[in-house]
Amino acid sequence: MNQRGRAIVAAAIMVVAQAVGAQTAGRAFRPVIATMAFPADDADLGRLEAALTSAPDDLKAGNDYRMAVIQAKAYDRAIAFFQKLVTANPAAANAHLNYGFAYVDKIPDAGAITQVILANNALGEFTKSIEIKPSWIGLYTRGNSYLFWPRIFNRTHLGIDDLNEALKMQKAVPKQPYHVRVYIALGDGYWKIDDLTAAANTWREGLAQFPGNAQLQARLSRQGDDLKTLIEAGYDPAKRVDTSLADLWTRR
Amino acid sequence: MRVVLAAIAAAWFAAAGATGSIQPGFEDITAKAGVSSAHHNRTFENPYAHIMAGYTALGASASAADYDGDGFDDLFVTDSSVDGRNHLYHNNGNLTFTDVAAQAGIDSGNDRANASADSLWFDFDNDGRPDLLVVRFGQNELYRNLGGGRFENVTKAAGLERYLNAITAVAFDYDHDGFVDLFVGAYFQPVNLFNPQTPRFFPESFETANNGGGVLAFHNNGNGTFTDVTEKIGLKTSGWTLDLGHADANNDGWDDLYVACDFGTDRFFVNNGNGTFSDITEKAIGIDTKKGMNVDWGDFDNDGLLDIYVTNITDDYMKEGNFLWKNNGNLTFTDVSRETNTYDTGWGWGAKFFDYDNDGWLDLYVTNGWVSAGSESYVPDVFEMIIKPGIDLADARNWPPMGTKSLSGYQKKRLFHNERGQAFTDQAPKYGVDSIRDGRGIAIADFDNDGRLDMFVANANGQPFLYHNTMPGGGHWAEFALRGVKSNALGVGAQVRVTAGGGTQLRFVDGGNGFAGQSSMRLHVGLGGAATIDKVEVRWPSGVKQTLTGVPVDRLTKIVEDSSR
Repeated sequence: MNQRGRAIVAAAIMVVAQAVGAQTAGRAFRPVIATMAFPADDADLGRLEAALTSAPDDLKAGNDYRMAVIQAKAYDRAIAFFQKLVTANPAAANAHLNYGFAYVDKIPDAGAITQVILANNALGEFTKSIEIKPSWIGLYTRGNSYLFWPRIFNRTHLGIDDLNEALKMQKAVPKQPYHVRVYIALGDGYWKIDDLTAAANTWREGLAQFPGNAQLQARLSRQGDDLKTLIEAGYDPAKRVDTSLADLWTRR
Repeated sequence: MRVVLAAIAAAWFAAAGATGSIQPGFEDITAKAGVSSAHHNRTFENPYAHIMAGYTALGASASAADYDGDGFDDLFVTDSSVDGRNHLYHNNGNLTFTDVAAQAGIDSGNDRANASADSLWFDFDNDGRPDLLVVRFGQNELYRNLGGGRFENVTKAAGLERYLNAITAVAFDYDHDGFVDLFVGAYFQPVNLFNPQTPRFFPESFETANNGGGVLAFHNNGNGTFTDVTEKIGLKTSGWTLDLGHADANNDGWDDLYVACDFGTDRFFVNNGNGTFSDITEKAIGIDTKKGMNVDWGDFDNDGLLDIYVTNITDDYMKEGNFLWKNNGNLTFTDVSRETNTYDTGWGWGAKFFDYDNDGWLDLYVTNGWVSAGSESYVPDVFEMIIKPGIDLADARNWPPMGTKSLSGYQKKRLFHNERGQAFTDQAPKYGVDSIRDGRGIAIADFDNDGRLDMFVANANGQPFLYHNTMPGGGHWAEFALRGVKSNALGVGAQVRVTAGGGTQLRFVDGGNGFAGQSSMRLHVGLGGAATIDKVEVRWPSGVKQTLTGVPVDRLTKIVEDSSR
């Protein structure tokens, strides 16, 4: 694998919101902080912050920290920490990614209007990460994030663009299990703009690449309101989006 | 439990969705009844007019009471435009009404310094005649009912001449001195909205705003005057109050108070029984960040405890969801709106419990819709403002103009049928009461005394609806008109428990609960197939308890408080 390929695969390991099923993510997540008092206390968070300060672009360290933050419900602390981290390390693309996730992690605990502000802030950080270092993970993350916005904000097409870019990237490297997520999300994006043919074609292509995938099968087997219910349930801002990345490098 | 309820709700919802054409049940008699005068929103001529008109698209209210004691409930309906006249619709007894507001001297609720927002019938002088409070952005007006269709403006004499920007009011006897006291909810702070001296009078936050008008409590001194006791009794708040609702949550004989707030946390105050209240919000309902619009109390599950329905905003861009607070009996409530299918009613406004089909379970009608105008949406504009870093939301100059754009407009109203206290199904399309006008207040009353509850719905910037209940094959019913002796004259706060057909239903006389709408003070109970009533138990605010037997069905029964006890 060439350097670019390795970079893409490495980045892809840190998949985003929804990239991992909650159940498997939970299993993978526990060993990461198994040595830590549970839930994380102030000292634990301090140690993780120190580790991240010394390696700001370390995705795993950033992920471990955010998972501890979720347990401690210390969302504002994490946002403040990442803000300092990216200010001190403006070229750390992965720090920006984790900063964006820190906003996403707070969304379920926020009111409806604050959710919009947090989601918008997250998009800003994902964009900075992509601008610094275009990556599959960055594009998938931002593309998927756009799909959470109601149609009235006219952001779905931006998500489709990002997801198509992510699809191109993943086709250029060895197939990974998590690549299926791009097919799911991209199809959902087409569905959101009422291009049902493109949606179905995308899901079918994904199913050809990942036979037996339950989410793709479910989408292709439903129509009308049934399909709407299925898709919209996946983009409910009131539900916590699983932003744990640990499962992916555990698989690796 | 939740899963089971959700499954039941889903099944019923699916079944309801299968129905097709409109069926007999509610007849729109607005025009032929003579009550079709349209409401008009207020427009402004100040530097903030670009946002004020849309922002204050309120003021369409309706309040029912038998002001002249002729046995038929009448209606007071507000307008809000600068030259708009308020209406006193006298019920002619034949499902027609005559507007007698001008003769009564109570039609002039709007001028350049005041805009009508709501109204409240309450008998402040215990003469048995409902008096009228016109709730206004500006100064409220209190009219004493002199009888014979005449009213006297006694605002100043009563000590209520005060700039408030009020939007809602309820009256109940919080201290059991035999006189109903007045509780007013104010939306804006007391700035002159028509000529503001500062641009900073808008909500400082969408979720935790504390720069609103709050709640004001006026103790009825029993001599025609009121005293502001807000701080003294523990009710000082600064939220953007949209509605107030009182009832006895824990059956201790003292009415508690729910405060619905826009842009922030609703509040729950428990009555300590000593003339004061305590804020137990966190314990009772938790801290929310929603947009509380409406408070109505009713025992939807017939468990002997009064529950609460609060509307919020639910739309594609903001999914707050309503609250159906199930009363746990220990001054805590659990939101069961999702399980009962009452969660999503769009941009909710007034909502009222009532048993429209006399089956013995309280149903629910819910209005909704903010501004129905042009095809363009205002949502992106307002969210663009929200996400600006450091935006000062309190400054009206920062708010984008609404122009002719819509915001959560053209929403269909909901008529939720109560499925035996487990879930609700929307029957509004079935009965043709799913209008898309911008609904605000609801007044429920049996305008023709036929035992079937009718609905008057006030719509912002549009004509209202009077829906005559023609539900065929309904069950038996009973109605009660209470007269207090030791207690306040109209029996506000009295609880009535009716046992029939193997079950007991709880009703109470409320003093104006519900956003921009006051239902009849007569109590109505649907009895289903029960042709006899086993007993009727009345608990008066004074503490007097009466048990009646041999009460007839299918008629109105007057109950006078037994003062010998």
